[in-house]
Amino acid sequence: MKTWQRSAFQAIVLAIPALVCFVELQQFWPPTFDRPPLIALDDLLPGSAFTLAGLIAWSNRPSNRVGVLMILIGIGLLLGTSPILLQPSPLAETLTLVLGNWWSFFLVVFGSLWAVALLHLLLAFPSGLLGSRLDRGLVAFLYLAVPVLGLIAVVVTLSRLSGMTGGDVVVRLEFLAYTTGALVYLACLLLGSALIVRRWFVAGSARRRSMAVVIWSLVPIALAFAPAHLARFFAADASSTLWLELAKGSPLFLAVMPAGYLVAMLRSTRDLTSIADLVVKLSNGLLPAELQPALASTLHDPSLEVVYWLPTLGWYADLEGRPVSLPAQDSPRAVSVLGDPADPIAALVYDSSLRDEDRLVDTAAAAVRLALENARLQVQLRAQLDEVRQSRARLVEAADDERRRVERDLHDGAQQQLVTLLLSLQLAKAGALDRSDAQSAQVLDESIESLRQALAELRMLARGIHPTILVEAGLLPAIRSLGERCPMEVEVTGEVGRLEPRLEAALYYVAAEAITNAVKHSQGHRIRVDVGRSSGWASVDITDDGVGGADVSKGSGLVGLSDRVAAVGGRLDVRSNQSAGTNLHAEVPCG
Amino acid sequence: MAQRVLIVDDHQGFRKLARRLVQEVGLDVVGEASSGAEALREERRLRPDIVLLDVQLPDLDGIIVARSLSTLAAPPLVVLISTRDASDYGPRIDGCGALGFISKAKLTAASLSALLMR
Repeated sequence: MKTWQRSAFQAIVLAIPALVCFVELQQFWPPTFDRPPLIALDDLLPGSAFTLAGLIAWSNRPSNRVGVLMILIGIGLLLGTSPILLQPSPLAETLTLVLGNWWSFFLVVFGSLWAVALLHLLLAFPSGLLGSRLDRGLVAFLYLAVPVLGLIAVVVTLSRLSGMTGGDVVVRLEFLAYTTGALVYLACLLLGSALIVRRWFVAGSARRRSMAVVIWSLVPIALAFAPAHLARFFAADASSTLWLELAKGSPLFLAVMPAGYLVAMLRSTRDLTSIADLVVKLSNGLLPAELQPALASTLHDPSLEVVYWLPTLGWYADLEGRPVSLPAQDSPRAVSVLGDPADPIAALVYDSSLRDEDRLVDTAAAAVRLALENARLQVQLRAQLDEVRQSRARLVEAADDERRRVERDLHDGAQQQLVTLLLSLQLAKAGALDRSDAQSAQVLDESIESLRQALAELRMLARGIHPTILVEAGLLPAIRSLGERCPMEVEVTGEVGRLEPRLEAALYYVAAEAITNAVKHSQGHRIRVDVGRSSGWASVDITDDGVGGADVSKGSGLVGLSDRVAAVGGRLDVRSNQSAGTNLHAEVPCG
Repeated sequence: MAQRVLIVDDHQGFRKLARRLVQEVGLDVVGEASSGAEALREERRLRPDIVLLDVQLPDLDGIIVARSLSTLAAPPLVVLISTRDASDYGPRIDGCGALGFISKAKLTAASLSALLMR
């Protein structure tokens, strides 16, 4: 809609309450004590309040149906309940003359539809959309049922008035049609209120805040309807005293809803000023970790989350750098992407009730933009560090797998062939001996011996590449086996059980390297190896009684070991003082 | 009557040579199997006195086959063989019910008969 069209529409809508007020107040002029003009408030205030609040809501958020619904309720109230069109007046007479009975139909339909629109508004507040199927069904049913029941009532009344039919039966039918309409509406209003109250109970604090207007309006609306309908039900006589009117229930109570809406709008404007506080906090230097709580408090949504876009990795992450996926379109969480949509900085994930406070969210987001960019750099660094850590672990694991494969291939391929050849030579030697061919037997014997030597060397090589016993029996037997082949005395103590292969490999290579180093450099006599497992950590501790002085920084195999242990999330400590032996302690998390 | 032997190994060339070695020791080879499952099947069918059993089989681990054979009512004597050393298997070999273990590199008529005499 163009600007001038909108202005024209607003002017027309605004003219309706002005006209109705003018015409109606004329009746009370000049004022008398018996008929104070205040009585007219009953008819004029609720309709005018809804129309004005609706106009404000509509110009603020043209795409939200709340404004349009309020305008419809306002005009319906003014035209439907005001006596201007019902009581004898020049306008009413002219309309009746021109339109005849159709005018009565129009009055009944329009005069009752505003009440349905009111329930529609209550259920659809604040988004303007009916969320559940039950909501939609209830509202659709009422839009159909209320006018139909009203029309039946009018038809019966008209036929009675025109004298076509008569008698008690028609009077009862007329009464029945009117009361059924009223009771059906009351029942639906009660059901709708129950739905709203239940929704309020399960809602988070942000949603409760946005539902406050509706919740606080429920009681006045019930007061406006129930006693009035009950009064009609019991056919009480209409008294003109203002206080008696109020006691019976009055449409005046309905004005609470638009008034509450305007108060909520004022509060939301005050929220905009609270962003100034946020800016002050930012200028005092807000840490990235404080950003999310500060935004959550400014936007009154404790469930608000800030997630950062990581362009190098192509996903969103939380402050710790962990990947986060944005909620789906139909989820109860709303998302605001900040910055250029093609290259966002971050996104806010919050309760969808804040969707109607888009200006507030946008302003808050603009205020923290620079701080978000800084925080994003930190998050990106963390996420990349995590990626590197994971890829290092994957590299070590891949290398271990490769070693295992090479070892297996050596055994199943070359070694198997050589063993078969060895057996075949042994049989040939036995045959030669049978034939008393001592010379051939001698040659074969030498071949057998060198083949055995080659096999032993191959086995040593395979074991160095990857020890089978580690896979077959686990860390403790593998370390014992190391100790048995070691020229120094090795004492192995403790218990560790089976661990993940990558953890067993990391701890095994620490023990193997430490034992090799002790044999080569320590000049000691004894090595003590202690393995253990406690509170989610598995450890191996190797101590020798040698000269000490080992240095991790001097490019020894210890650096590689330290990397290997770190790759599985563990740590390696080396203590090696001159002439006090060397102690290596490695521990890895084992869940 | 000579004791009856079942040879279990997934390499046909090795089985052929092992058959001759076993015969040299003076035993009678009654069957061959190339997998753990086939070994268990053949044992039930042939009821041998001795099973010469490779540890690395394509399906079942030879140590598991040995443990399963040891639970039979009249279990055969099991001799485990492997291209690897006994030390590579650590404590797994103890208690699997086998009579003993001979590395294939050290498998000779003499070592086999020495183990069986024990």
